[in-house]
Amino acid sequence: MSKQKSFSGMQRIRAAAAAAVLGTAMTAAAAAPVLPVNAAGSVEMSTSYPGVAVKPGDNVSFTLDFQNDSSSGEEVNLSQSGLPEGWTGVFEGNGRQISAVYAKAGANDGLATYSVTVPQDAKNGNYSVVLRGDSSALKLTMTVTDEDTGDSSLTVDHDKQQGVSGTALTYNITLQNSTSSSKSYALSAEAPKGWTVTFKTTDANNITSADVDAHSSEQVTVTATAPKDAKADSYTIPVTAEADGQKLSTKLTAAVTGTYDTQLTTADGTLSFTAGANHRKAVTLTVVNNGNLDLSGINLSANAPSDWTVEFSQDTIDSIPAGQTKSVTMYVTPSKNAISGDYTMDVTASNQETSVDNTFRVTVKTGTAWGIAGVVIIAAVLAALAAVFRKFGRH
Amino acid sequence: MDEARINRHGFKVLFEKELTDHLESWRFWILFLLLIVVGAASLRGAVNSLTSAAQQASAQGAQLTDFMFLKLFTTSGSAIYSFSTFLAFLGPVIGIMLGFDAISSERAGGTLNRLAAQPIYRDTIINAKFLSGSVTLFITVFSAGLLFTAGGILISGIEPKPEELARIVVYLLIVWVYMSLWLAIAVLFSVLSKHAATAALGCIALWLFFTMFLSLLASGLAGLAFPGASGGNVLDVISAYRLSTGINRLSPYYLLSEVTTVMMNPNVRSLDIMSTLESQNGAIASYLPLGQSLLQVWPQTVAMIAEAVICFGAGYVCFMNKEIRA
Repeated sequence: MSKQKSFSGMQRIRAAAAAAVLGTAMTAAAAAPVLPVNAAGSVEMSTSYPGVAVKPGDNVSFTLDFQNDSSSGEEVNLSQSGLPEGWTGVFEGNGRQISAVYAKAGANDGLATYSVTVPQDAKNGNYSVVLRGDSSALKLTMTVTDEDTGDSSLTVDHDKQQGVSGTALTYNITLQNSTSSSKSYALSAEAPKGWTVTFKTTDANNITSADVDAHSSEQVTVTATAPKDAKADSYTIPVTAEADGQKLSTKLTAAVTGTYDTQLTTADGTLSFTAGANHRKAVTLTVVNNGNLDLSGINLSANAPSDWTVEFSQDTIDSIPAGQTKSVTMYVTPSKNAISGDYTMDVTASNQETSVDNTFRVTVKTGTAWGIAGVVIIAAVLAALAAVFRKFGRH
Repeated sequence: MDEARINRHGFKVLFEKELTDHLESWRFWILFLLLIVVGAASLRGAVNSLTSAAQQASAQGAQLTDFMFLKLFTTSGSAIYSFSTFLAFLGPVIGIMLGFDAISSERAGGTLNRLAAQPIYRDTIINAKFLSGSVTLFITVFSAGLLFTAGGILISGIEPKPEELARIVVYLLIVWVYMSLWLAIAVLFSVLSKHAATAALGCIALWLFFTMFLSLLASGLAGLAFPGASGGNVLDVISAYRLSTGINRLSPYYLLSEVTTVMMNPNVRSLDIMSTLESQNGAIASYLPLGQSLLQVWPQTVAMIAEAVICFGAGYVCFMNKEIRA
């Protein structure tokens, strides 16, 4: 707090004190000008925060307060000195550039502002400017702290996500360019084998680079899609944004959860077959493991009409690795009493974790054995008739 | 047999003469025209019934059947029987009409000994008479049946599928076998009895018994044998049903009705009530292919063919053993 207060009738003392304070401050400055203080004035100019940290390209404002200790208003001319080359500073009031203020009796807080534009190429260090308002002087110190690389960053909102294999996980990334120039960042991700990682912004899909203005940020959405057969695991995807030798990186974590996806079908997908009553029919089933977890101990069972016999070449399939297929032969024997026409039967493949079933349509054909017997009967009757012809024909 | 041999036996001459006699006889034409007229009437009735049934089905959003054309044969009108019922009912009458006086009229007219005096084998007479009658029946069945089919297409506008046409042909063939069986019975009666009237009355009596009274007798006997059936005992009901069905199957009329049911309705999968009940679980409504339907009624068909052959054989033996005098 270096607001200086002055009391009426004690101007001399106050001026001396002010000179002492300012003098102390000046010792830090490189080229401290001698402050010719106009002790005749009764208006004191001050600001709350005379020392601030700035970055290159910043525009910083100081609010100026004026304390008029006299009983009448007073006009104060404003001037500045000591501003480094390339820097610009102006007095502003009521939205305009000003050169003088009128301070009414008493406190006039925030009557004017002093705006300084820091040049883009400002080097690190302390800079100061001295403002004058007739009888009072005010020294402002600005410390440029920003390096050129700045604190550009790549940050993720939710860097750990999980999903089943095959689904797309989306991460929202903020690419912050804190440098003083706009940059084009090349985006890349080291995706695990089989993964697809794409970048997009609100404007464009499938981008490989993002343009970010100086001192601004860009929202980039990263979509990571795990392959269908990705094993259940946690995967790390390093994402980098590179521009002008500046390398920003972050890590995305994608946890792929295990899924069971089993299919029970036949080799050609046909779910119907024809079987003769009381005749054993072989049907080749295929059990497909489309999930990303290995299956083990799969039991096969069938729910067929009563008195039907259904057997499998193996009742239990020991294991099916993820993405693989196993074939089993099913032997269906319709009941000997089965009548012609269509029946349905359900076949189930299940283990402790998952279960899949499918309905088969079985067209039963009754045997022609009795049809042949009928032909034999007719033949026998005709043969008997022929015998009758021969015996009684009297030829 | 080559032609010369057929002629030497006199078969061809006799066969052609008998066929001409049949086709020129008044009583054949009366019955044939009767069949055509009732066929036309039953077609009208069937179309009316099916039209209202189809309207009802479409109003309910249901499909009537995939085999609409076959329905024309088996659907009865409000006041008239279906064509298949008429065939089963009138077929025997035509068969009897063609055969009841085959031998007895020749004998009564005194022409049999003259015929037997010709240089032909004696069995040629009965063979030619049966075969000419059977061919007449074939002509009758197929002309009436195909007329009905053609009229059905014209009036109803339904296109028969190839499978339906095949089913109609098979059905008409079996009807022909059925009518030939009655012809064989009539020929047997005509051999056995001296007078044509006796043969005719005997045949008519048998026809009435088989078509009307056997079913009453069958249910009566089944009721006597399994009294528990009326009390609702399931086992007795099934046994009684099986017994009455078994007795009914003595009748060619019942056999033909079963054939009609299966051949003209592909939905029917089995005629045995028990196997139908036992196999209901897991069964889904579906149409049987023609071969499978035929397999269902093959026993009935075989029975009718065998019965016809046996009746004819019996008539043949009796005729050959008969003394023929003036």
